[in-house]
Amino acid sequence: MLKLFGAVIVILAGTLAGFSRAAQYADRPRHIRGLIAALQRLETEIKYGYTPLPEALRRIGEQSKEPLKALFLEAAREMSPPLDRTPEAAFAKAMDDHWRAASLKAAEREILRQLSCTLGTSDRMDQGQHIGLALQQLKQEEAVAREDQGKYEKMSKSLGLLLGALIVILIF
Amino acid sequence: MANDWLLLFPETIRALLKALPAALLDKVEEVRVREGRPLEINYAGRFSFIAGSGGLTLAPAEAYKPGREDAHRLLDLISNHSLYTMEEELRKGFITIPGGHRIGLSGRAVLSGGSVEHLRDITGFNVRIAREVTGIADSVLPYLVDRSRQRIMHTLILSPPQQGKTTMLRDLARQISGGGSAGREGSRPALKVGIVDERSEIAGSRRGVPAFDVGPRTDILDGCPKAEGMMMMIRSLSPDVLIADEIGRPEDAAAVTEALHAGISVVASAHGKEVAELARRPGLGGLVEQRMFERYVILHRSEAGTGFRVLDGQKRGLLLVSPGERSGGDLHA
Repeated sequence: MLKLFGAVIVILAGTLAGFSRAAQYADRPRHIRGLIAALQRLETEIKYGYTPLPEALRRIGEQSKEPLKALFLEAAREMSPPLDRTPEAAFAKAMDDHWRAASLKAAEREILRQLSCTLGTSDRMDQGQHIGLALQQLKQEEAVAREDQGKYEKMSKSLGLLLGALIVILIF
Repeated sequence: MANDWLLLFPETIRALLKALPAALLDKVEEVRVREGRPLEINYAGRFSFIAGSGGLTLAPAEAYKPGREDAHRLLDLISNHSLYTMEEELRKGFITIPGGHRIGLSGRAVLSGGSVEHLRDITGFNVRIAREVTGIADSVLPYLVDRSRQRIMHTLILSPPQQGKTTMLRDLARQISGGGSAGREGSRPALKVGIVDERSEIAGSRRGVPAFDVGPRTDILDGCPKAEGMMMMIRSLSPDVLIADEIGRPEDAAAVTEALHAGISVVASAHGKEVAELARRPGLGGLVEQRMFERYVILHRSEAGTGFRVLDGQKRGLLLVSPGERSGGDLHA
């Protein structure tokens, strides 16, 4: 009886691990899409709104969903007085604190880091170009992420269940 | 308000400045940051470098030399991390930050069609600290009031750069707008004052609200080109007195003429040392020739303080105050 109960728990744990893995594959394209939308808004704020960077990031943060919301709000806070950090430092800090919550990978992080080095340091046309470049790279990442989702999402789910079953068999 | 300008410097420079004696800090007029060259301050008409170990020095070799990182941080801070909002300012070569402090910039100019489109590689900063000197206009104002008609006379304030024109204008605005019972001169009605603050220096507006006391009946058009702003003021805000800083271009002169004919008193400032010099300048010459201004105030400054000369429209002297005769702090242009 106790053995059976243990087996059920092991299989359940395996299945859950598989599902959470699958959720990551499903979330990544969604989060990249959110990031793309946020950067597009940033481009508009800079090019047409002449909005100062901290204010623009705050607005974008408020309109975004978690976990990007926390990321942008934190970056805006870091850039405002009394901290007054550079965009580069502010984004580095915000990404350190909130990157884990998002299903995003190192590639997206590097794109955002490169963009943060140039944000706010040149005229509007140049800013537009840099954001445009980041958007293009993100779209590529999104395509890759979607492909991965198609390939691995279902597989992770069944793999979890099967792994659980394998452990049970080995133990018995 | 005390020394809020310190906040706009990056930590390294701020620490050096904060280490200076407080009495000296209160007198600082300009802080000059040039990448790779000594950090300089100007105070009370003198200059000095700041030593890397703290304190003042006159030897460039001992001085602290701001690096690329300092210049980068400073630009980031004064532009609120958003240089793209400053395109117009970069074309003109200076940024005015909230509080009325003006930062002159030098770097490499990018041309487009023969005119300056942008500044890049900005490595030189001249931070001019705006200070309010309440009462600086006390001795001048009685000579500008036309008591019989209860109005202010058309006045031009003249001086070379950095002698206190803007400070004078700011205090005049405050006193004219506040009215007063100026003792022996009898009472003066409070008048409506309109300030066209093209460089945001007179009122130092933050989001449209003046950071300096410019009087209770004062309207400010912040960041507005002078010629256009004066016309807008005349049409819509019905001022009794118009105040504008640093007029000089022909269109400014045309707008001043317009205001004078509309029955509005104009108090303006211009760069120059003598009225005679002014008459030769293309923009303002006509105004002087036609005796548009009824009063000229000429400022001159030495280490002892600020002196004034007041002349009437025919260039006859009315008042001479030598530097140091009045108590009070130093001026800042």
